[in-house]
Amino acid sequence: MKALIIDDERLARKELTNLLQEYPEIDIVGEAVNAEDALEKINSLKPDLLFLDIQMPEKTGFELLESLDNVPEVIFTTAYDEYALKAFDFNALDYLLKPIEPDRLKDALNKLLKRAQPEEVGEVEDKKLGPNDRVFVKDGDKCWFVKLENIRLFESDGNYIKIYFDNFKPMIHKSLNALDERLDDRSFFRASRKHIINLTWVESIESWFNGGLMVVLRGGDKVEVSRRQAARFKEMMSL
Amino acid sequence: MQRQQFEAVTQSLIPFLVSHFVIRNIIIKYNWLKVDLGKIVSRVLGLILVVAVLTGLLYQLSYLIFRSTDYTNGDLFLQLTFDFLVTAFLYVIWTTIYFLYHYLESNNRSLKYEAAINEMQLNQLKSQLNPHFIFNALNSVRALVDEEPAKAKIAITQLSNILRTSLIMDKKRVINFNDELNTVRAYLALESIRFEERLKIKYNIDPRSNHFQIPPMMLQTLVENAIKHGVSNLVDGGIIEIKSITEDSVLKLRIKNSGQYVHVAKKPGKKGGYGISNTKERLKLIYGSEATFNIYNENDKFVITEVRIPQGI
Repeated sequence: MKALIIDDERLARKELTNLLQEYPEIDIVGEAVNAEDALEKINSLKPDLLFLDIQMPEKTGFELLESLDNVPEVIFTTAYDEYALKAFDFNALDYLLKPIEPDRLKDALNKLLKRAQPEEVGEVEDKKLGPNDRVFVKDGDKCWFVKLENIRLFESDGNYIKIYFDNFKPMIHKSLNALDERLDDRSFFRASRKHIINLTWVESIESWFNGGLMVVLRGGDKVEVSRRQAARFKEMMSL
Repeated sequence: MQRQQFEAVTQSLIPFLVSHFVIRNIIIKYNWLKVDLGKIVSRVLGLILVVAVLTGLLYQLSYLIFRSTDYTNGDLFLQLTFDFLVTAFLYVIWTTIYFLYHYLESNNRSLKYEAAINEMQLNQLKSQLNPHFIFNALNSVRALVDEEPAKAKIAITQLSNILRTSLIMDKKRVINFNDELNTVRAYLALESIRFEERLKIKYNIDPRSNHFQIPPMMLQTLVENAIKHGVSNLVDGGIIEIKSITEDSVLKLRIKNSGQYVHVAKKPGKKGGYGISNTKERLKLIYGSEATFNIYNENDKFVITEVRIPQGI
């Protein structure tokens, strides 16, 4: 597993490298000293795992993740940061508190290695986001690392997109068109100008006015499919 | 004889009972203690007048009851006037003492209350060491143990000095400048282990500064802020310069650091300005208007923080 260590302090990086020497399955392919450096190295080295410090000059670790389309596995490392710790409370993001406890590191890595099943290799560079991919979502001081299969609906709201999953509806700053291009057509369907739905969450479909459709998602959200898209929808979904 | 004694006792009891039960109750009932004294002085005098007349009549009543010799011998009008003047005089004294006592008492109470509130606020404002710093420092030390054991040892001593100071000094209102400076030196030594070549430190200390006392952990907090918002946010790092100047009975502290001071407009989640408003509040509580605090951008590269502290409190 290729790992990249991102921390602005040399000694902190060194400390983590020392701790990781016990794990031959973790191959440290590089170190980055800030978010910008990290972005470059993520693109060139394609790591499977990031050890990511949160407080870094200019851009925080959270901001780095937000700028990534496809997020590798992430283990946060932080000294003490009330704000960040609150974000972690919200979701089972994995994080290590500095100075890192060797046992705690072991747990985190075990969890990770167990989860990382060998996925189909030889994927194309520009692959679209499928149901098994995860995205990092941050709204205010809350963060989530959501698997796309858990997201039932994207709804555009001005310059923002509201993301519906579990009981949450965080907003991210992005256009629905840009998002649509990134998503895999087989799982996500552009229902109208305002909505993208996750097809696996569709519970029932009814005819609606003007040749449109009304889709009910599991959990009760109702989304109208515009006439034009309804035609596409029928075409796609029929045998 | 016995009747005369009884009479004397009764007559001396009358003003006492009247003042205690009539005047006092009226003052309490109409809440005169809470009203500005100037506004009710006429009402108080009126009350005394009425009560004194009533007391005079009561005396007459007692003369009647005891058939005192005074009653038969004296001129009634003269008798009434005399009793009236004496009792009115007594009531004026009684009321004055009553008001004075309560005024002093409440004044005392509000002063004590104010002092307690002040102390409480001061305790809340007392700066605490930033936990983020402590854990980062410990993390660096852990890495140093292998790399440079000697340096790691020094770092551990420095860290424990800072922790000790922050625990002990919390209980004091002011400490000697040099004690504070030593904490700052230890702190910056630790931060330079962490930031390495990214942090450059300069001191420019007037030796007479130690004649001054400053609030504990105040300079430390300002330096910590300067690092947090300055060097730690800059990819290429920067400088921090600590300067002290003494002028007559004023100590001037000046911290210069790389970075920019942004007034409000904080990114959500980045708690800023807290340390500054705390410091201002603390200075005000300890020195009143005699201490000043300023923070401004010297140019687009450096921020200056200035504090002026008077000698003695």
